[in-house]
Amino acid sequence: MPEPPRIALTGVSLCYRLAKQRIPSIKEYAIHWMKGALSYEQLWALTDISFSAHAGEIVGIVGRNGAGKSTLLKVISQVLKPTAGRADVRGRLAPILELGTGFDHELTGLENIYLNALLLGHSRKAVDAKLDEIVDFSGLGDFVRSPIRNYSSGMLARLGFSVATAWFPDILILDEVLAVGDASFTKKCTDRMNRFHDGGTTVLMVSHNAAAIRETCTRCIWLDAGRMLFDGSPAEVLAHYASDHGTEPVERRVGHLEGPVQQ
Amino acid sequence: MFDLLRYRDLVLALVQRELKVRYRRSAIGFLWTMLQPLLMMLVFQVVFSHLFRFPIPDYPVYALAGILFWNFFSQSIVASMNSLRGNAQLLQKLPVPRAVFPVATVISGVVNLVFALVPMILILLVTQHTLHLSLLFLPVSILLATAFTLGAGLLLSPLAVFFSDVVELVGVLLTLLMYMTPLFYPIAALHGWAHRIVRFNPVRSILEVFRDPIYYGKIPPLSHLSVSLGIALLALAVGAFAFRRSSDRIPFYV
Repeated sequence: MPEPPRIALTGVSLCYRLAKQRIPSIKEYAIHWMKGALSYEQLWALTDISFSAHAGEIVGIVGRNGAGKSTLLKVISQVLKPTAGRADVRGRLAPILELGTGFDHELTGLENIYLNALLLGHSRKAVDAKLDEIVDFSGLGDFVRSPIRNYSSGMLARLGFSVATAWFPDILILDEVLAVGDASFTKKCTDRMNRFHDGGTTVLMVSHNAAAIRETCTRCIWLDAGRMLFDGSPAEVLAHYASDHGTEPVERRVGHLEGPVQQ
Repeated sequence: MFDLLRYRDLVLALVQRELKVRYRRSAIGFLWTMLQPLLMMLVFQVVFSHLFRFPIPDYPVYALAGILFWNFFSQSIVASMNSLRGNAQLLQKLPVPRAVFPVATVISGVVNLVFALVPMILILLVTQHTLHLSLLFLPVSILLATAFTLGAGLLLSPLAVFFSDVVELVGVLLTLLMYMTPLFYPIAALHGWAHRIVRFNPVRSILEVFRDPIYYGKIPPLSHLSVSLGIALLALAVGAFAFRRSSDRIPFYV
């Protein structure tokens, strides 16, 4: 009996209905409603996506800006509920849609480690037990005692990654956050991810870096305008992508702390 | 919503942070929580026992109990409406149970209320020269007020996300509601329709459960207590239900 998939999406569609045309006041809402003209501009960010991913798979997601990559990760992270279809996710989730979400710049590094881990659903006790390891991994030393408003973006990224990956996840979700800090820290991150992979973590990552996808992923999904165009080996998918776009996915930014493009 | 139990450490951390932010902002820090109601009390004292003259003995105690209750109620509602919008970034990036934000806001309101009881007890000692045992009933009163306020906060906070002008509207309605609640006047001073409106105002019931042990030195009668309990639980149930229903839509609108 094979293990059930960690992630199983069946016919997932997601529509940003009001995000596009927000009715700002109750008065307008009432007027529209009375006229029976509550029409919304609909934006289907995802249309009928089905796939499953098992333990140990590293799935890369490629596609142009606005193709629905980040939205897909949000659905799998249980941040957004699909408009139609089902998104079943089994196991402990480590969603890193953005490093350091919820950091409070007035608090110290240590306080932010707690806040961040609690936001990820861990208990205070669990953080107590992992604290030294998190501080150690971040390599921030005594800086953890000072407010993070003094941190550089690289330091913030280190702190964010150290907290988010401190617990072994069944499913790791990464939205273009791999290019973290300097070379030595990147090496540490890669080592940690490899360890997760060896332990059977399912990884989902959005990347615009073809080389990274070819090296790390066992599988690749190509999204375009909210539809899944291809699901196969990285080499295969990248080749199709290249023949369609005239180029492989390329890195388009230097900075790495900014979040994914809002759709 | 049942995830709240799993996220209780987060709720506590958010409460702590809210209190810290509040007390760091002003120069005299958390003394302000105690001082503000006292100053309000003085204002009421001057306005209502000299200008309008309500025949209430120990008016400062009467007014202060009302002020403490109302501050808790109205500030918690306004703050919980802002709590979801203030954490928009988080709500779009992490799968946190959305209710943690209004819940943490109301709990920090309770903490403020408890701090503000300290100067009230001093006033009681000065005016009545004794402390009634009925004060020991206050935790129950505060619990009722919390359930009621949380219900209102859970109902209104998603609305504030969906419609940006709800915050303004609720501000006006709260002012109206304040005058409909016998905070600084005795209900006996009203007659006819005004009396009926205030009598059937559910906020009055909850207020009296809080004020009776302080001002009259007695535990509210069982009949009144059970009505208030019903109102508080109903409010909480309606709020929780409404929040649950709209919760999944919140990240799309913040």
